[in-house]
Amino acid sequence: MPIDIDEDNLKHGLLGLVIAIVEIIRDALKHQALRRMEGGNLTDEEIERLGRALEEIDIAIDQMKEEQGVTETVKSVRDGLDDLVDDVLDQMINPERWKKEGEEKGI
Amino acid sequence: MTEGRYVYCIVEGAQKAQLGNIGIDGSRVYAIPYQDISAVVHDCPAKPYESKDNEVVKDWVIAHEKVIERAWEKLGTVLPLGFDTIIKADEEKDPEEIVEDWLRGDYQNLKEKLDKVKGKAEYGVQISWDTKVISQVLTEKDEELEKLSEEIKSKPKGMAYMYKQKLEKLLRGKLEREAERYFKKFYGRIKECTDEIRIEKLKKDEELRQTLMNVSCLADKEEVKVLGDELDKINNMDAFFVRFTGPWPPYTFV
Repeated sequence: MPIDIDEDNLKHGLLGLVIAIVEIIRDALKHQALRRMEGGNLTDEEIERLGRALEEIDIAIDQMKEEQGVTETVKSVRDGLDDLVDDVLDQMINPERWKKEGEEKGI
Repeated sequence: MTEGRYVYCIVEGAQKAQLGNIGIDGSRVYAIPYQDISAVVHDCPAKPYESKDNEVVKDWVIAHEKVIERAWEKLGTVLPLGFDTIIKADEEKDPEEIVEDWLRGDYQNLKEKLDKVKGKAEYGVQISWDTKVISQVLTEKDEELEKLSEEIKSKPKGMAYMYKQKLEKLLRGKLEREAERYFKKFYGRIKECTDEIRIEKLKKDEELRQTLMNVSCLADKEEVKVLGDELDKINNMDAFFVRFTGPWPPYTFV
């Protein structure tokens, strides 16, 4: 996964990476919250509180990205991760391709 | 040093054509015949083209493709070979003979492949859709989605947020099922008008336009209008876009 970091954009790149990770954690939280809500074991008041908290996180992240000008960097980190996961999954569900790749590399 | 031959493609017919200095790094490109097939080559040292500079490699690959396209226009049916296909001489034979030996040894196979793509060309088809418009249409005609989006309006802020997440998740699932349905439909329709069809990896989505399918097709050059008409119909559908490219030499189908 290419993360473009050199001396000039080290800060930029690092910040982008950190925010990308925060976003991924946020997504996981959101997923969990939704599951619990759909499972029916949250009261209305709890749903309301969760929703507000998550929304605040969304706003804070967007604001940070905007202020630091790292929206694109974050996106490219996440796209890179997506591609990586895609490739891994592709290999897992396509053992033939996996084998072929091994042969190409002479393994 | 000319102890190797860089091979671009195989063409039908016994060709002795000179294609001029159009090869990689301006090399002189010509054909070596064996019976009724020929190899399009240039003279080169017996080592692969390698460079760490991506721009240089890109130029080489473009030159490689240009030669194949040129041979295709001038000499007829071609079987494109991959970049960096080099035939090496040995101590007893010069490279020209080795190319001939190779054509002789693989003659049956090459001939069959040439017959398969004779008069045909490769076309690229990419279909994308505007997920925003499709989502809207889906929401309007789907009771579950519509009910949920109505509900959101009357909820307090935090709850509205959570219900919105739920709505988006539902919508994503339904979009995926729609995508699958359309993919199957389009695939079938395209398959009807082509000799062969191959599914390619999806390209990166453009903003708001999601790629639904990316295929390469092999079709008769004379009958490709049928495919064009079918794709026009898809392109005219609301929120669907078709990108149709070609004709190309049959890179994917050899």
